[in-house]
Amino acid sequence: MVHEDYKELLAAKALDALDAEDARALESHLQSCADCRAEMLEWEETAAFLALDAARVEPSASLRQQILTAAKTEPASVVDMEHHASSSDARVLSFERPTRSSFFWSPVSAIAAAFLLVALLASVFVLWQQNQKTKAELAKMAEQIEEVNRGRAREREAVTLLTSPGARMASLAGTKDAPGAHAMLAFDQTGHAMLMAKGLPAVPKGMAYQLWFIKDNKKMPGKVFMPDASGNGMLEDEIPGVAREAAVFAITLEPESGVQVPTGSIYLVSAG
Amino acid sequence: MQPEKGTESDVDLLHAVARGDEGALARLYDQYRVILFSLLLRILNSREEAEDVLQEVFLQVWKRAGDFDDTRGRPFTWLVTLARSRGIDRIRQLGARQRLADSAAQNAPDEASDAVTDTLHSEQKEIVARALASLPEEQRRTLNLAYFEGLTQSEIAEKLDTPLGTVKTRMRSGMIKLRELLGEQGQTLMGSALN
Repeated sequence: MVHEDYKELLAAKALDALDAEDARALESHLQSCADCRAEMLEWEETAAFLALDAARVEPSASLRQQILTAAKTEPASVVDMEHHASSSDARVLSFERPTRSSFFWSPVSAIAAAFLLVALLASVFVLWQQNQKTKAELAKMAEQIEEVNRGRAREREAVTLLTSPGARMASLAGTKDAPGAHAMLAFDQTGHAMLMAKGLPAVPKGMAYQLWFIKDNKKMPGKVFMPDASGNGMLEDEIPGVAREAAVFAITLEPESGVQVPTGSIYLVSAG
Repeated sequence: MQPEKGTESDVDLLHAVARGDEGALARLYDQYRVILFSLLLRILNSREEAEDVLQEVFLQVWKRAGDFDDTRGRPFTWLVTLARSRGIDRIRQLGARQRLADSAAQNAPDEASDAVTDTLHSEQKEIVARALASLPEEQRRTLNLAYFEGLTQSEIAEKLDTPLGTVKTRMRSGMIKLRELLGEQGQTLMGSALN
């Protein structure tokens, strides 16, 4: 396709109506064509005007408060790094240099000195233990902050994916093997997909969960992933072109290296 | 035609929401609730589903307003595109369109008590309705199937038993005509879209 061919696709893309192949080709062209990107904005605006054709109806009056209440309980998850750092620093124990005191080398003072020495050593040991504990807490906290940062990066990527034109989302429900599990699979028109799963049972050693794309009873293997200790799992994958329309998505338990044909039980599956 | 930036107040509101200003979220809701809810109701044909998705949309705005980039479009377009996308996602999650069609009869979207009938909204809807009415029926139907039902060009071709090439031509011609008719009235439409 040449530039003019891509321009012909822009209006349909704004309606999110391109078939997968055209969408993928255009997406790739848009990366490198500022002219088409600028024109795309105009078409998106024209498409948005179509919303104004809907008959105007008020939502329930109570919805406003529901949303504001929910917003209060779901604050934007901004981690205050400075606060974390300062509060952590405040917990670091300070070792003050002991003041030197004079005493006589009498038997009594020798015994006293021995007690003092034992007490001092005990104190040092306690302080050392506390210091080790604090260091471990700091390391754990740094790890948590790092995890939060990684989570935020993943969330940003998920939101970028979800808000891209033509993004879709499939809900996967837990089967009898994982009744408490659920997952969402979001993917864009290029097939780039993110899976976010919760409540998965821990996997036996040497095993992992594997994603499957099922279309017309053909099972196409996706990547494998391991859930964390809380049963949460996250996976990025590319959905094969043929499986982007009306496919079923499933998660099975498989050897950790992954398999080409599913062998284990299904833990999560979309409605399809 | 280059899209102009959104009105200063809407951009400011989104920036304030991004800073965690709950009052700004409330004002944004007051501004856009009718246009977004009406769109979702048209897509989903169910008050319950439309309200649920509207709540999702505003919570996403609450958490992700920082992603709004006013150099890449106006707040109106960003919010409408977000809501439409979530509405279509919900249809796909629900799976069977028939299920929605079945519920449509029980959830008539134009209940008199909830319909918004003020002059501004009537005028604004009339502009878009008039533009759509000036399109040939087959072009209008193609646009509606894509925008409100989330069908791709191939799906539309199959549904209407029409060659794919014809669907593509109708869609593009319809959009070109709409852009001509509505482009000049962008500010008016977006101003009157708010309540």
